[in-house]
Amino acid sequence: MTLEPRIGPRGRDDDLTRALRALYAAPTDPAYWDALARRIMTRVGKDVEGDWSLPLARWARIGVIAAGAALAVASVALTRSRDAQARLAFHTIIETPRTAPLQIATEQETGSEREATLRYVIAP
Amino acid sequence: MLAAPNLHATPMPLEPPTESEARARERVLVLRAQRGHREAFAELVRVHERRAYAVARAITATHEDAEDAVQEGFLHAFRALDRFRPEQAFGAWLHRIVANAALDIGRRRKVRDADALPENVSLPFRDPAEHDELTRRLVAGLRDLPGRQRAVIVLHDVEGFTHGEIGEMLGIPEGTARSDLHHARAALRRRLGDLRSER
Repeated sequence: MTLEPRIGPRGRDDDLTRALRALYAAPTDPAYWDALARRIMTRVGKDVEGDWSLPLARWARIGVIAAGAALAVASVALTRSRDAQARLAFHTIIETPRTAPLQIATEQETGSEREATLRYVIAP
Repeated sequence: MLAAPNLHATPMPLEPPTESEARARERVLVLRAQRGHREAFAELVRVHERRAYAVARAITATHEDAEDAVQEGFLHAFRALDRFRPEQAFGAWLHRIVANAALDIGRRRKVRDADALPENVSLPFRDPAEHDELTRRLVAGLRDLPGRQRAVIVLHDVEGFTHGEIGEMLGIPEGTARSDLHHARAALRRRLGDLRSER
């Protein structure tokens, strides 16, 4: 019977490995692993339920984007409408009166010519 | 006219799936889980939880911390599932996440237990050979190792991970993992070298 080193360069290192494996052995009972898997999935489930606000937030984001787009469209439409109104006002105020007095003047001139002719004919 | 084959006439032998079959099945599970099928993710949990526990156990101080790290790791993996590329190995990706969760727990515990006695650190989940001198001395030797060296020797010698895999998990270069393993073994040999056994 001899004594020899169990650990070390000349020893049986597999003893160390075996001892490490025994020390770090995972539970072998299948029920343990089933229970751990259930606990993990419960946490995952809670996490998913806890994040119910995520889809809501996504919809809110879409809503904000849609509202922004609607606002932009509305402001463009408003600007165009103002432009159109301004043009109409320009035409109404600036262009229309310029032609109307001319016509009146012509009519007046025509009327005064007639009057002059009439006066000339009936004049003694 | 050909008769329809009776699939139930002869029972098919139940053989374990080959590696490529297992990988293909895992890919299907991952894709389904990414589309929101929780049952597919539950199946991934059942397939990977033991190995994930081993990774966490190598890094954390206690069995309870390892359990917490596994749960947190799977939760993080579930949240990050849309960033996972199915052509990757799911196991390697998951192990990195679990290892990070275990390292985080270790850091938190370090802060929390700054004043605690060192006896609380690195005790094994079970001590099947409590009266064995080698085991007793090994526990003491592991306790004295730096945390990373302890993780490296357990991941390599107990779980059989390669230096490269360990490096990826712990976020260190492969060469560092190799050198950590060398130093850890040397320290344990020094510690346990005088143990003698009868042959």
